[in-house]
Amino acid sequence: MGLAARHLEAHGIPTVIMGCAKDIVEHCGVPRFLWSDFPLGNSAGRPFDPESQAQTLELALRVLETAPAARTTVQSGQRWSPDASWKRDYNDLTKLTPETIAQRRKEFDVVKTIAKAKREGS
Amino acid sequence: MATSIQGTSAAVAAEDDIPIPYMQRTRDYYLALGYDNPYRWAHFVDVPFTPLGTPLERARVALITTAAPFQPDAGDQGPGAPYNARAKFYKVYSDSTESAPDLRISHVGYDRKHTTAKDINTFFPLVRLRDAVAAGRIGSLAPRFHGAPTNRSHRETGADLDELLRRCREDGADAAVLVPS
Repeated sequence: MGLAARHLEAHGIPTVIMGCAKDIVEHCGVPRFLWSDFPLGNSAGRPFDPESQAQTLELALRVLETAPAARTTVQSGQRWSPDASWKRDYNDLTKLTPETIAQRRKEFDVVKTIAKAKREGS
Repeated sequence: MATSIQGTSAAVAAEDDIPIPYMQRTRDYYLALGYDNPYRWAHFVDVPFTPLGTPLERARVALITTAAPFQPDAGDQGPGAPYNARAKFYKVYSDSTESAPDLRISHVGYDRKHTTAKDINTFFPLVRLRDAVAAGRIGSLAPRFHGAPTNRSHRETGADLDELLRRCREDGADAAVLVPS
């Protein structure tokens, strides 16, 4: 998504990214970024919470309007939960069983096969 | 849990309350799966910047997502479905912003423990953008939203980016909101 923002911006369309993966988006280098420190999948606000979603969008729009330069990141003030224990769980390799690893690898190989077929067919 | 420093009202964050290092975890993950070629993300020296030329209350705004249209024949796509590679899409797609699209995120690596993906508005803010139009905060929505494929080679990504730009221009977009899921 960072690449898309950069491409639009380079061709005259200002952009803002709403996202949760701070390191990945900032590593790419994007014009404007509203970061929510939420689990991946909640870039636009808390589920079933229209107020949280409206605040998240409003902040993104303000970043779009007021960023002074490229690589502007603003962090949403919303917190996912009072403590940060949820952050320990994502891709916790110590919790992967050999069966899970085999299953995940199988899935990933499916992706690679499909992507290769698409490439060769296009 | 947060604590506070004596004599101030400022809460001090817990030691592990930092941005999740997704890049490191993804590298470690692929190594654990047995792929010895570490995943690499493109990054750049320069970052383009275009100031917003039209005040938002008059601007036409595009919405771009990585969420995938539901495909009835592609297996479990949630909410809460395990990672589903078959549900990926490989071409830029567009649909009307007047519609109520059925989009899913089973094809990406979101946090399945803490995200159920039951509420589309948490990863696809179309309804909230419509609210913003109704409130006069933004001028209008572009007639279509666009889906950007993930998991592409560099060559294909270039073609996808040109296609996204072409569609945004065709729609007369003054600005774009991009929401990775």
